[in-house]
Amino acid sequence: MLLQEANKVNSIKEKLKKFDVKSLTLYIGAVLILIIFTVICSINGKDFLTTSNIQNIISQSAVIAVIGIGASLVIITGGIDLSVGSVVGFVGIFAGVLVKAGVPLFATLLICLAVGALVGAINGALVSYGKVPAFIVTLGTMQIVRGLTKVLTDGRPIAGFPESLAKITQTEILGIPVVILYVFALYALVMFTLKKTKFGRRIYAIGGNPNAAKLSGIKVQKIETLTYVIAGIFSVIGGIILLSRLSYADPNAGSSYELDAIAATVIGGIAMSGGKGKIGNTLVGALILGMLKCGLQILNVAVYYQTIITGLVIIVAVYLDKAKERKAE
Amino acid sequence: MEKCILEMSGICKSFFGVQILKDVELQVMPGEVHVLLGENGAGKSTLIKVLSGAYRKEEGCIVLDGEELCCDCPKEIIGKGISVIYQEFNLNPYVSIYENILMGKEIANKGIINTAKSIEFAKKYLDLIGLDVDPCTLVSELSVAQKQMVEIAKAISCDVKLLVLDEPTAAITDKETEKLFEIIRNLKKKGIGIIYISHRMSELFEIGDRCTVLRDGEYVTTVDLDKTDVDELTKLMVGRNVSFERVENNYIDDSTKVLEVKNVDYKDILKDVSIELKKGEILGLSGLVGAGRTELAKCIVGAYKKTNGEVYLNGEKLKGKDVKESIDKGIVYLSEDRKDEGLILIHTLTDNIALPNLEKFGNPVLDINKMVEVSKDYISKLKIKTSSHLAEMKNLSGGNQQKVVIAKWLHSDASVYIFDEPTRGIDVGARDEIYNIMLDLVKNGASILMISSDLVEIQKMCNRIVVLKDGRVTANLQNTDDLTQEKILHYALTGGEQGE
Repeated sequence: MLLQEANKVNSIKEKLKKFDVKSLTLYIGAVLILIIFTVICSINGKDFLTTSNIQNIISQSAVIAVIGIGASLVIITGGIDLSVGSVVGFVGIFAGVLVKAGVPLFATLLICLAVGALVGAINGALVSYGKVPAFIVTLGTMQIVRGLTKVLTDGRPIAGFPESLAKITQTEILGIPVVILYVFALYALVMFTLKKTKFGRRIYAIGGNPNAAKLSGIKVQKIETLTYVIAGIFSVIGGIILLSRLSYADPNAGSSYELDAIAATVIGGIAMSGGKGKIGNTLVGALILGMLKCGLQILNVAVYYQTIITGLVIIVAVYLDKAKERKAE
Repeated sequence: MEKCILEMSGICKSFFGVQILKDVELQVMPGEVHVLLGENGAGKSTLIKVLSGAYRKEEGCIVLDGEELCCDCPKEIIGKGISVIYQEFNLNPYVSIYENILMGKEIANKGIINTAKSIEFAKKYLDLIGLDVDPCTLVSELSVAQKQMVEIAKAISCDVKLLVLDEPTAAITDKETEKLFEIIRNLKKKGIGIIYISHRMSELFEIGDRCTVLRDGEYVTTVDLDKTDVDELTKLMVGRNVSFERVENNYIDDSTKVLEVKNVDYKDILKDVSIELKKGEILGLSGLVGAGRTELAKCIVGAYKKTNGEVYLNGEKLKGKDVKESIDKGIVYLSEDRKDEGLILIHTLTDNIALPNLEKFGNPVLDINKMVEVSKDYISKLKIKTSSHLAEMKNLSGGNQQKVVIAKWLHSDASVYIFDEPTRGIDVGARDEIYNIMLDLVKNGASILMISSDLVEIQKMCNRIVVLKDGRVTANLQNTDDLTQEKILHYALTGGEQGE
């Protein structure tokens, strides 16, 4: 009898352990921001919580959310990738140049993906085999890719893309903008990969303790490089989504996107020191950033203040996230 | 009688419930070189760390120059005149000698450093110890011996009363050693007390005055070095009335060689090492810290790339390019360093056990339920004390962490297990459990290479013992009843030559 009781208590305890307090804080925060905006907007006689607004927020957050996947993966391995934003800008211009040269759109996009993978491979190889700190390598490639983007067209934007490009994102399925479905599909794929595949487990292991990972038979350098390659590919996907939405390539596109992607990652609670965090929460982080942007726009808050508020949210989010560690000390 | 400069008495210290120091005492006279001697793990470094304030003592009292030290903060203790020179130096390699000597006590006027005076100050102390190098030289450009001298100069410049030298001659040449001894003799004349830690018997007799021997964290005795010899010291270090039962291992199959290591070199750490391991055998690998035991293990599994030599597993040559190959072929290494190499502390028990065995849990999609099942199975089989299979490793005690390391490799079903210090920092109860796991392994046809500094454990568990000294095999001993710990230690200390 007593044993049964004890077992019951244990199983409840186990369930509580599984329960993730950190994620809960994040979700409550996200809902709170949503409520605050709804209330303030309605006081000012404006609508916030409408279907079209919500769809807008998600669509506009799509690029950050997608490149945030790559940024998060790299951060989980204990690295950082500052080049993701520059690749977004490069993709637009490079695709423009190829299309103008008569390359079919589909081939253009494939070439762009390959280039993104190449940038990632260079980053990864220098970080893992070359032992150059990730911050420095990707700071360098970021500048190089940005420079190349401008060199390609002398800094001029490119317009006049084929209709089919816009169709990639600007259609709807069952009334839902297809770009939203892309984002959710990509996140579902990555979340599954991280949780349920060897590759996923290994990138966490590398971030958690590279020595132990190596002695457990993990080819640390190979996996690390591969992660940067994947980050490069996701940046290209982000770039294609942006290009498709605007049908216009601006060489300055994607500026500071790497910082937004990293912000989404840390708001989502992924540890900068690596090895810990949930990739799904990066999406929540990106949506929080999107909500802030959209909500403040509706309220006609000047762009400068938007930046200040975003900065505060990043710090507060991580501060709350670290509550447990502060308590432990 | 002269008053001693340092008197430590009744020092006790434990980690995670394991007592490392029990009622240890140490007395150093002014102008004396006092040797601290003991096997690996006897408590020498712990004692020094308690002295320097890096560890907080639980009981006992430290009196320096008639004044009791009750503070536990390293900075304050340096202020009192105790200076410890570790094997890894505490110098900033990227700045000059004089800046290192004056670190924390810069000569400045209103915050502006007076360079000329600083250099002059440093030069004075460099001259004092006879280091003829420009004080503006970057520390990174100095040799090991020179760095050591800079450390000593730095210590003297702080008005040091007691200087601790931890294995000071481990990495320097004979000639440099002579020079070091000259400096030590000069310091003696100034009345500075010196605690000298070293395993090199010959130099102890050359430089030391008295010697305190520690064994298993306990004070044994203090002897005058001119009234003793190597044999007596070795006996004192081992000393214990050995009360263990040698484990009967009937599972050994003499005709089958499982692992053959042939002529392995690694940098200048291992020299021409060859060993053999038979099926069902537990082979002990003994030697002092720095003898190259861990390096040998890592070369065998391919974590280090050996410079020369071959490793055969069941007659098949291993490429030795990475650890993955060894795991796949069935040879695994359980690191001595659980925290840095064995486990991912921020991950859960289940994740840690699964990590080297991911292939076994489904490809490409992992079966998480199976992972949980397996880890729960090991929790009960190895009696791992944990709140749940999802507990983060950092919340487990040392013994339980070690069991998780073992579980992770048990599940990989290897034929050769290399245990590196499997019971370090683990309490007695858990030790026996780990020994039983090892016996189960050989019973089921595996073979074990056990690296250990604990001679009792080596004698208890092993069929055969290989001793390393300075990267060479100095003995290959059958563990018979007439094998004494003195004999093993003798090979580890002197390499077997008489008279060193």
